Amino acid sequence: MNAYVVYCHPDPESFTAAVRERAVDALQTAGHQVRTSDLYADGFEPAMSLQERIDHLAPNTIQPDIAVYRSNLQWCDTLVFIYPTWWSGQPAMLTGWLDRVLVSGAAWDVARGGTSITAQLSNIRRLVAITSHGSSKILNVVEGENGRRVIGRAVRVLCHRFASTTWLALYNIDRSTADERTAFLDRVERRMQRLRSRATATADGRTS
Amino acid sequence: MRVVVVVAHPDTNSFNQAIASTATTALTESGHQVTVLDLYADDFRTAMSPDEWLAYHSDRPLLDPTAERHAEIVKRAEALVFVYPTWWSTMPAILKGWLERVMVPGVGFVFDDHHHVRRGLTHVRRVVGISTYGARWMYVKAVHDNGRRTLLRALRLNTATFTRRSWLGLYEMNTRTVEQRVAFLRRVDRKMRSL
Repeated sequence: MNAYVVYCHPDPESFTAAVRERAVDALQTAGHQVRTSDLYADGFEPAMSLQERIDHLAPNTIQPDIAVYRSNLQWCDTLVFIYPTWWSGQPAMLTGWLDRVLVSGAAWDVARGGTSITAQLSNIRRLVAITSHGSSKILNVVEGENGRRVIGRAVRVLCHRFASTTWLALYNIDRSTADERTAFLDRVERRMQRLRSRATATADGRTS
Repeated sequence: MRVVVVVAHPDTNSFNQAIASTATTALTESGHQVTVLDLYADDFRTAMSPDEWLAYHSDRPLLDPTAERHAEIVKRAEALVFVYPTWWSTMPAILKGWLERVMVPGVGFVFDDHHHVRRGLTHVRRVVGISTYGARWMYVKAVHDNGRRTLLRALRLNTATFTRRSWLGLYEMNTRTVEQRVAFLRRVDRKMRSL
């Protein structure tokens, strides 16, 4: 399985950084190929520029700084997002990554004059999101769990028709105990080790 | 009312900018005090920096002069109006970053002694969102319209108890005729005059 981990947190000492380490280790231990992008370490520019906006419907006008993300997206069959939830969604850095990397010609196409898009990332059969919330589960449900829907719905539309989504979230992190955080890291590890290639699962008749 | 209009579009010739100026004119003519925060024109930095992350829970979470200026304006606002194009079912990164970097503890919300979040925007009585979408209305609903929910629910929860919310959306933006766009601007104008 080819797993592409997109990681976003400004602090390398953060809990999210620990999550990333455990997840990547577990994926590698399970024998998967892993590529990782660390958006803060890359110095990624999240705001779409005027020129990019003007070109956004013209395929193949890919900015040089996003070429590597594009090739990783086309390489992987499993796409993993690891980030903290802020204001009920992805940090702006990751939102901007979606805005700038998922461009026409790379992730989707639209017929001239049309309003619906054609997915171009059918190589991606599994989406995984691992995140932490400062607030409770119930408050996030009231707010609409918007970050979860961005990945599970808006991004999923670009992937394989039967792509699955896996959601791992630690709520109430600001008031969590060390034991709860350790338990969450263990959960992330177990879940990542259990991930199976969905293509293989179908061929063998197994469920993953 | 003191109204803050927040605009997030890189193109000064865009339809979103036309919406913003229609809204601003209508609000000013109705006697409101309007401040426009054009995030691209202000060169607003999108991502929270590592230093800002470390200062987030301190007494001075606002490190950047632009973010501080915007926060001072927000602290006096009685109505917030957001104008943006919806990308990937949510707001553009620069506007999401604005929420993260301006609506910090002490502005958007406050932590109480038990580290519970309490409302910080009790002076805000109206929240209005105006957005353009490439997709059809049905599709926008199916992917959950996350930008709308972020503003009308997550942000709304931090404002006054009886804050009213409004939403104006123009769907299938790329295939709209000039007449339909003008009609939408008229809707924006009417809504702002009745605020």
